[in-house]
Amino acid sequence: MSMLELRHVSKKYGQGANEVDAITDIDLAVERGSLVAIMGPSGSGKSTLLTIAGSLEEPTAGDVMIDGASLSGMSRNEKARLRRRSIGYVFQDFNLLKGLTAVENVSLPLELDGISMKKARAQGMAALEGLGLTDRADRFPDELSGGERQRVAIARAVVGERSLLLADEPSGALDSVNGESVMRMILAACHGGVAAVVVTHDAKLASWADRVVFLRDGKAVDETLPPPSPEALLESDVANPS
Amino acid sequence: MTMDDVSLRAGRRTPGGGIPARRAVTRWAWRLFRSEWRQQFLILALITVAVAATILGSTVAVNNPPPKNAGFGTAQDSVSFASYNQQTQSVIAKIKNLGTVQVIENETYSIPGSINTYQLRSQAAHGPYGSPMLSLVSGHFPANANEVAVTHGVAGAFGLSVGQTWRVGGVERQVVGIVENPQSLLEEFALVVPGQVPNPAQVTALFDAPSGSLHSLGKGVQVNTPASVAQSNPLNPETISLAALVLGMLMIALVSIGGFTVLAQRRMRSIGMLESIGATDRHVRLVVSANGTVVGVVGAILGFVIGFAGWLAYRPSFEQSAHHVVGMFALPWIVVFAAMVLAVVAAYFASSRPARAVTRIPIVAALSGRPAPPRQIHRSAVPGIVIIAAAFLLLGYAGGTGGGDGNGGTPELLLGLVLLMPGLILLAPFLLSLTERVGRRAPIATRLALRDLARFRARSGSALAAISIGVLVAVIVVLASASRFSNVLDYAGPNLASNQLALHTAYAPRGSVIVHRNAKGQLVQQNVKVESATPAELAAGAAQIARGLGTQLIALKSPNANLSGTQGGRSWSGQIYVATPQLLRAFGIKASQIDPNADVLTSRPGLSGVSGLHMDFGGNGQKQGPGQNSSGGSDQHPVIQEISALPAGTSAPNTVITEYAMKKYHISAGTSDWLIVGSQTFAASQISNAQLTASTAQLSVESRNDIPSGSTIINYATLFGIIIALGVLAMSVGLVRSETSSDLRTLAATGASSYTRRALTAVTAGALGFLGALLGVGGGYIAMIGWLRSNSLNGGISALANIPIGDLMLILFGMPAIAAIVGWLFASREPAVMGRQPIE
Ligand SMILES: Nc1ncnc2c1ncn2[C@@H]1O[C@H](COP(=O)(O)OP(=O)(O)OP(=O)(O)O)[C@@H](O)[C@H]1O
Ligand SMILES: [Mg+2]
Repeated sequence: MSMLELRHVSKKYGQGANEVDAITDIDLAVERGSLVAIMGPSGSGKSTLLTIAGSLEEPTAGDVMIDGASLSGMSRNEKARLRRRSIGYVFQDFNLLKGLTAVENVSLPLELDGISMKKARAQGMAALEGLGLTDRADRFPDELSGGERQRVAIARAVVGERSLLLADEPSGALDSVNGESVMRMILAACHGGVAAVVVTHDAKLASWADRVVFLRDGKAVDETLPPPSPEALLESDVANPS
Repeated sequence: MTMDDVSLRAGRRTPGGGIPARRAVTRWAWRLFRSEWRQQFLILALITVAVAATILGSTVAVNNPPPKNAGFGTAQDSVSFASYNQQTQSVIAKIKNLGTVQVIENETYSIPGSINTYQLRSQAAHGPYGSPMLSLVSGHFPANANEVAVTHGVAGAFGLSVGQTWRVGGVERQVVGIVENPQSLLEEFALVVPGQVPNPAQVTALFDAPSGSLHSLGKGVQVNTPASVAQSNPLNPETISLAALVLGMLMIALVSIGGFTVLAQRRMRSIGMLESIGATDRHVRLVVSANGTVVGVVGAILGFVIGFAGWLAYRPSFEQSAHHVVGMFALPWIVVFAAMVLAVVAAYFASSRPARAVTRIPIVAALSGRPAPPRQIHRSAVPGIVIIAAAFLLLGYAGGTGGGDGNGGTPELLLGLVLLMPGLILLAPFLLSLTERVGRRAPIATRLALRDLARFRARSGSALAAISIGVLVAVIVVLASASRFSNVLDYAGPNLASNQLALHTAYAPRGSVIVHRNAKGQLVQQNVKVESATPAELAAGAAQIARGLGTQLIALKSPNANLSGTQGGRSWSGQIYVATPQLLRAFGIKASQIDPNADVLTSRPGLSGVSGLHMDFGGNGQKQGPGQNSSGGSDQHPVIQEISALPAGTSAPNTVITEYAMKKYHISAGTSDWLIVGSQTFAASQISNAQLTASTAQLSVESRNDIPSGSTIINYATLFGIIIALGVLAMSVGLVRSETSSDLRTLAATGASSYTRRALTAVTAGALGFLGALLGVGGGYIAMIGWLRSNSLNGGISALANIPIGDLMLILFGMPAIAAIVGWLFASREPAVMGRQPIE
């Protein structure tokens, strides 16, 4: 069974003359342990796809299944529970609550789920340790670098037994070294059994994925296995500008 | 992980995340409050000031009257005698049979060269009951007949200090200590050991009578209530401060809603973030309302600390003015507790409304920081109008109860007044959108200001409601007192001027007074007849008091005649006296000023124009003139002349019958009251001395009471309304405009001058102020018309004919003008604030 499955998902914004088809009839299945990259020009519907997959938004048509359970029949609270337990989300820029320290940010979903502060903190520390941030645990977000913040966000997205990681341009605001290390961590999470969907503009990073989905005007125009080498992907990117 | 694992774990956890989740969210809210307290400073300051003022105000109000056990010490009963004679001895002997007795004796001495007196007092220093009435300031209590302790006043008057010798009560004594009566700091006395007062003028026995045993004291002993307790305040200060508190907190909640809405908006991205990692709606609401609660708790605690510190700082001077010692912790704790709880509740409710609104914003919109579009729906005026109509009907019902005197409808009256407030709150948003339509053709600054007011009704509406409620309260007071005080027949106002004292014949006993406290702690009165003083004795007593004060004494003759008549639902009230030559001279009225045909002279403005006022006289069996029967008569059209030189007080001779009328109708008169007129305000010690003398002469002293004049009430109420309105505006105009500060930046970028910027703020403040005043004045008139239309006692609607135009104009136009001017001046600072404004 796929961890994430989108069936004929469409999303329209606005009404009447202002109607916009953000995505149209998207089908996508992501297995546990696999990494899917999503690429496409600005406005092509990448973020929309991710927010729908993450239960943050409702599709206009179609259905989303998470671990075999359909989102369409769920209440707001059931969806919130799903986000606490199964789905981890990483955004491009705004990821951390500024009033909470790194480890508090990481353990927040666990605490929201009713785990005691001590246990949640222990799990949060473990997640931070996995990303090499043990010594940054008690710092507040504004005392961390951009790359560190993003790594804390990833730690929060995988803490507990989360099995679906959705990242919307996680490396967008980072330099290439930091971007790569963030990608490496997502990949590591996949090796641990997590299903991941990553939106990126960076073809080099996309090449690390098991599969790349190209969107254009809300439609999936191409779905490829990544080329054997990053260089080859770069060439194909030139041939197929996004 | 299988689904079984998930459900297994889920089984162990509370669905909403339970306490850990709530704790995590609250922790976050607390951190946000710590870092953003400046943004919440206004709300915090408002709550702090309200709580502190309530605590200080109610403590002062509750402790101002003398303590309930003043004069009793710890005893439940007391008997006083005018001298120490056979009867006194036998009564005290009888009391001793009932149990422990403590006897306190006083003899009055005058301080040479002064009108002031002091008491030579014998009281056992550590007696069974008297300890609350005696405390040592320094030195020690007298231990034998050769020692004396004095109060500060006595020490000052005689230049005494501890260690000196002083001849008092016919004996050389050594001054060994400084003492005071904590329950009455006005008392000046020299304390000696029992048995050292040669001719006591006041002997008090304190004791605890077993119930039902008082009759054993025999006849001729009257049980009475002391004046201070008898004049129990009908409006309990605790009740007043609680009512003021509830109203104040309602306004604070209304103002705070705007503040919390802005805060919730500012945190929208964080909240979206929180929702994206699985926080439920309840968690999100908790963050915002936890923040509100934190503000309430911090404000309540700060308010308590400041209020209590203020009380400690004010206590010494308060004790001086209240003339008794007040304990450090003598706070009305119920009011203190209620104030703190109400502060938290008000802040919680103010924050829970925006909290609910924020959960309605889609997560993705919240994440992108896009506020929900301001609601375009045209708020209906119907619910507000329906509620106000219900209030109007309820008030009318209440006014019509008791056959038109409004006595029976207190619950309906209160409900009606309370209902007016939600009515105004509901009407406020409607009025804002109405104003926006009116302003569509106005110049850009006005148009934009009015449109923003309407667009952000969520916060401007609550500010408008708060202003209108403040104005409503003020206008109801203004209209009620204008209609009440305008009535010249049922005359209301201060009783006397501060340099006047009235002496009345007291029907209190001359000899013994027993006051008994029953099991419930109430003072009980048993009436036993005692002989009363002769007119000559009374006059001598009055003359003695006037001599003591060094002032002139005016005898007030009461004729056996009275005025009667009705106008505006109210009928004549007040005592009339005779215009004796002495009285006229005392007020500088020359015979030439008096119309020879005048029957009645009065200082009540407008009385001469009242039709239907007639004078009834006679009926005492005296010989009557021709045409009059022996049972008296009536003059249907007495000639009334207004003379403003006559005193205006309700207890002063404000209306007098001329000697011409006295002769014409053969009216007789007798003296039972006197007026003392001094050259300046009487000091509290002078009044208390006069009362002391009066108490032994079967007279009572009436001094100026606290009743304000009509114009005083109206002016204070107007001031109150304007200050509340301006305060709310100061708090909320910034909030209303903070949402649009980016608009301002855009305006500046497109070349708008500072004139436009200033005009925006000025129009916002002025329009909010004017609309609030309009709603408040309208609501006030609706309330008064509703109440008076069926209320004949209070004069019906015609009582509203006396419109306090000046005050209403000040509220309707003066206040908005001040707000606009302040807004205009203050707006120049806005860019600085704008630049600093942290987004998110
Ligand atoms: N709330 C909204 N209301 C109306 N239209 C929207 C909304 N959100 C997105 N859109 C539209 O939907 C389309 C897809 O937007 P989306 O944010 O998914 O693009 P994207 O691929 O993530 O672009 P980028 O690479 O610039 O982030 C765009 O045309 C956008 O204008
Ligand atoms: Mg995007």
